[in-house]
Order: sequence, then structure tokens, then C-alpha cells
Amino acid sequence: MEEIKGAIALIGYGLAAIGPGIGIGIVVGNAIQAMARQPEAAGMARTTMFLGIAFTEALALIGFVLFFIA
Amino acid sequence: MDVLILATECDPAEEIICAPGNVIELFEFKQALFSIGPFDFTRTVVLTFLAMFIVLALLYFGFRRVRVVPSKFGLAMESVVTFVRDDVAKGTIGPEGSRYTPYLLSIFMFILVANLFELTPLINFPLTSRMAIPLMLAVTTWLIFVVVGFYKNGFRYLFDIVWPKSVPIALRWLVGLIEFVSVFLLRPLTLAVRLFANLVAGHLMLTLLLASGWVFFAAVGDIGIRSVIGLPWFVFGLGIFVFEFVVAVLQAYIFTLLSAVYIQTSVHPEH
Repeated sequence: MEEIKGAIALIGYGLAAIGPGIGIGIVVGNAIQAMARQPEAAGMARTTMFLGIAFTEALALIGFVLFFIA
Repeated sequence: MDVLILATECDPAEEIICAPGNVIELFEFKQALFSIGPFDFTRTVVLTFLAMFIVLALLYFGFRRVRVVPSKFGLAMESVVTFVRDDVAKGTIGPEGSRYTPYLLSIFMFILVANLFELTPLINFPLTSRMAIPLMLAVTTWLIFVVVGFYKNGFRYLFDIVWPKSVPIALRWLVGLIEFVSVFLLRPLTLAVRLFANLVAGHLMLTLLLASGWVFFAAVGDIGIRSVIGLPWFVFGLGIFVFEFVVAVLQAYIFTLLSAVYIQTSVHPEH
């Protein structure tokens, strides 16, 4: 087997992106469902969706920073 | 401009895949354009002042004469201000949110202009992809929500965070510790890094795609018809261009919205 080269921090960032990826999928999916069920509440659902995305994204972003630090 | 600089630095005849020697070169401009006294004005500093003057000019010319029937430009500026005041400030903080509208409007406009520099021809450098600028904005938000929290609730603000009443007593110290780190360290950090990371990723993506397109086209003499490979890269890069416009506006909105939410948690701590 050949020698494996590359930065292990890249794998770390990839791992850190899995959870937020699933999380953002759930947030957006449920927001779309809420908007489809109650179109009159779409504005509120959208604001809350962006908030949810922003909080979920934080984990991936910490991974992104650690990739540069490591 | 970055695209041109990058493309001229690599020799397409020898290597098809060109990369800058160090990615940081795309973001750092250490050479001072001019100096006033002890202050060096690098490209980043000049662009910061430019963004400030653009925001000032937009607001000045939008509200120079307030009329019953505003002009088209005045109407556009009014809709921006109304959006920040009603949707962001009052929508999240509540009726007293209008007190924070000036701050939220300033950061919204500044971040929006600074982000859109990424897509402006001849500038092509998102100001917020330098960590110093988002970090300073995030620290300002942090100071505001901490000061407001202590001003509105006194010392109970800190006590409620490190000793939450709604949690069983055995776990209270652990939750309090996590909350403390989350509120006072992670909030400003993630606020800054979110903006920074999005703009860095966008800038890199645009530079790589458009530069590879350009490099392939420039190599038409050496590799002949195969330089058509550059066309999909170029088209893809222009597609990303539109996507980055959405990202720039969205990130400015999210930064403002999260600042408002953080201020809201200080004005009305959880009941």
C-alpha cells in the first residue's frame, strides 16, 4: 500500500461537516413543510429557519477554523 | 483583478493546473498604497473607508429631502431602513427594538457593501474575508448585548446564565458552564467566523473557477482546441457569481438578525 499523504485536518473538517449537514437538512425540510401547511405564516417560518441554520452551521464553522489552526 | 494577477503568475504551457503559491496571497495585501503620518493605507484599509463612504452617501442621498412621495432611490433606501427596523429590530427584540435600529442598520449596510465588493468588477475582494473586520463587528455586538444585559438586569444577568434555575440541581453547574462558554465566547466567535468563512469560501471558489477558465483560454496557442475545456469552468464560475450575490446579501441579513437575537436575549432574559 502506498503511503497516504495529506493533512489530517481535512478529514477532521469533513467529519465536522456531517452533523451540521444533516441538521440543516432537517431544519430546512421542516421549514418548507411549515410554509406549505400555513402559507400565511411563511415569513415567520423563514426568519426562524435562517436562525436555525445559523445556529446549526456554527459546528461546521468551528471545524473550519480548527482546520486552519491545526 | 485577482483573477488576472493569479493567471499571469502561472505558466499555462508547463502546468495545466495552476495554483497560487500560498492561498493567503489572495487575501493579504501588505504593501501600503500610501501613508498619512504613521498610518499605512493598504488595499484593505482603503476599501474599508470606501465602504464607509458608500454607506454614508447612500443614506445621505436617500434621505436628503424627505418628501411625501419619495423618489425611486429614496423609496429603495426607505424600504431597506423599514426592513431593518420593522422586520429585524422590532420583529425580534420587540417594541423597544427601535432603540437598536441605528446600530443594526449600520452593520447591515456596511456588511452588505463590504460583501458586495466581492462581486464588484475591479475590486473583487470581499472586505469581510479579512478576519479583523467581522471580528471587530462581532465584538461590538458582544459589547452591546453584555452591557445591555447588565444594565437591564443587574448582576442577575450573569447569575442566571451560570446558575440556571430551570435545570435539576445536579446538572446545574455543568449546564451553567456550557452556557457561560456559549454566551460569552462562542457567540461572538461564531458570529465572526460565519461571515468570514462564507466570504473566504466564495472568494476562493470564484477565483479558482474564473482563473482556470481564463488560463485555459490563454493557452490556446499551446494546447490548441483543447482550451475549450476552459468554457465550462467559465460558465460554472459565472453561475457561482450569481450564487455568491445571494450569499453576500444573506450573510449580511444573518449577521444583523443574530445581533438582534443576542440583544433580545439580554433585554428579555429567559422567563
